[in-house]
This record gives sequence, structure tokens and C-alpha cells, in this order.
Amino acid sequence: MQQEQGGKSDTQVTWEDQQNINKFGRLNNRFHELEDEIKIAKETNENLEDAGNELILTDEDIVRFQIGEVFAHVPKEEVETRIEEMKEVTSKKLEKLEEEKESIVAQMAELKKILYGKFKDSINLEED
Amino acid sequence: MASTSIETTSSFSSQTTATERRGIPGAQFVEDVQTYLSQLGLDVNSALAFLQERLQQYKLVEMKLLAQQRDLQAKIPDIEKCLDVVATLQAKKGTGEDLVADFEVSEGIYSRARIQDTDSVCLWLGANVMLEYSYEEATSLLQKNLDNAKASLEVLIADLQFLRDQVTITQVTIARVYNWDVHQRRVRQATTVAKDS
Repeated sequence: MQQEQGGKSDTQVTWEDQQNINKFGRLNNRFHELEDEIKIAKETNENLEDAGNELILTDEDIVRFQIGEVFAHVPKEEVETRIEEMKEVTSKKLEKLEEEKESIVAQMAELKKILYGKFKDSINLEED
Repeated sequence: MASTSIETTSSFSSQTTATERRGIPGAQFVEDVQTYLSQLGLDVNSALAFLQERLQQYKLVEMKLLAQQRDLQAKIPDIEKCLDVVATLQAKKGTGEDLVADFEVSEGIYSRARIQDTDSVCLWLGANVMLEYSYEEATSLLQKNLDNAKASLEVLIADLQFLRDQVTITQVTIARVYNWDVHQRRVRQATTVAKDS
């Protein structure tokens, strides 16, 4: 976790500085959450890909497709359509997450510049 | 309701106090350590002890909120799955076919069920209560539960953010009070040396 440690300098901390530090903390938390969410979304995407591939290989007409807690007997074409839809949804979600992550990384870099500029060695904003 | 949105208010008061939020006391931001200590009327060690205790309290609340968040995050996919099933049943209704499904009877053991065209589903409401609903009623009930859960989650996340901000403020204050003390000691030592020499 990134910590702020006071050094030997006597730089005053203004409310604006505190707000910047708070914001940095929030962004950092959100960044880690996003990394986890992106990992899960990527896994889901892979699973859907695998499922789609298996579907092409199988020669059954009725596929057991999981809906909720049960496996419903669904014709192959419908399953294909459903999987395509789910892949669409997951890809869009993944895209949005990646975008958010990039924006957060940029904001954090900005804040680092500002805070290091004012506090230099008195503050530590790196991951340990 | 006092919500702490962070806006630049440094021109208004010299010590911007965050009001409390849902039982979580706000951490007082310290403009000047000297004034803060004299205002509290505490010496450095007592002030540090007080701040440390506050930090512990915040951590406790944080754990509680995190647990609640985990619960909600597990509940939401559950409700979405239920909505999915009801929607599927509703779609099947038009075709007149029976829905054949395999369901888990026990771990690793599945059984086949043939679900005929019906107009209603039974929903488990908890506390050993199950009620029968029509498709539309079931969908609207589940949707309402889903919306409530999502709204609660949002409030919870905002609470956690507020809490984490207070933790950060308290940590910074502890560091500053400690540094101020170190600085004071050095100054005192320097003046004693100057007096003696």
C-alpha cells in the first residue's frame, strides 16, 4: 500500500495538499480493484471463447446451457447466439475497464508530479 | 444530509472539518500543528495516542464495511441469475414446448426435469418462505431487489471512500505531529547548547 511518510522537512501541508493525497489514495485503491476486475473479465472472455470452440466441435443438436443454477436443454443455434451475445457484453465491459484504468494511471501520474514537486523526499507514493 | 464532497474550501475556515457520515466521525484537518495541539490542550504523546486510537477505530469500521460490500457483491449476480431464468421461462411460454433442464440434486448428481408451460414461478424469499408469483410479478420483484442491492452497494462504496480519506488524513496528521515534535526537540537542543556554550 502506498504510504505517505513525513521526512525531516518542515513543509506545511495545506488542505489542498491533503485533498490531493486523499485523491491519490482513492485512485490507487480503484486501480487495484480495476486490475482484479479486468483479470476476471479476461477469464470470462476466455471461457466463452473455449465454449464457442467446443460448440463447433460437438455434433449434438441439443446442448445443456447453464441458466442460473440449472442446465437447460437448448438447441445448438440458440446457444451459439447466446454465447456471441455474452462475448459482446464481456468485451465491451473489458474495454470500458481498460479505459478507466488508463485514465486512472494518467491521473495518478499527474498527482505524483504535483506532490513530489511540493514534498520531494517527505512523501512516498510508490508501491512497496 | 451532510455529505462530505471534497471541494476547495480552504478560504473559508482555517481548519476544515469534515462532518461525520453515517456514524463515522470525520477526521479534523490540521492547518498548523502548534495551534492544533494547543487547541486540544494535549501534549504530543497524548495527541499521538489519540490519533492512533482514532486510526484503529477507522480500521475496524473499514473491515465491517468491506464485509458488507463482499456480501452485496455476491448477492447481485445471484439476483441476475434468477432474472435470467424467469426471462427464459417467459420466452419459452410462447412456443408451447416444454423446457427440459438438468439440475443438481446433490453434489455431482444431476436430475432431469421437464418444465411445462406455466404462468407462475415460486420465489424463495428467505426465512423458509416461498411464494408463488406470475412471471411479470416475479420479474418486477427481482428487478426491484436488484436495483436496491445496486443502490446499497453504491452508498457503501461512497462510505468506504469517505472512510479511507479520513484514514489518510489521520495518518498524515500523525506524521506531521511527530515531525513537529522532532523539530521542536532539535530546536530546544540547539538553544540549550547555545545557552551552555
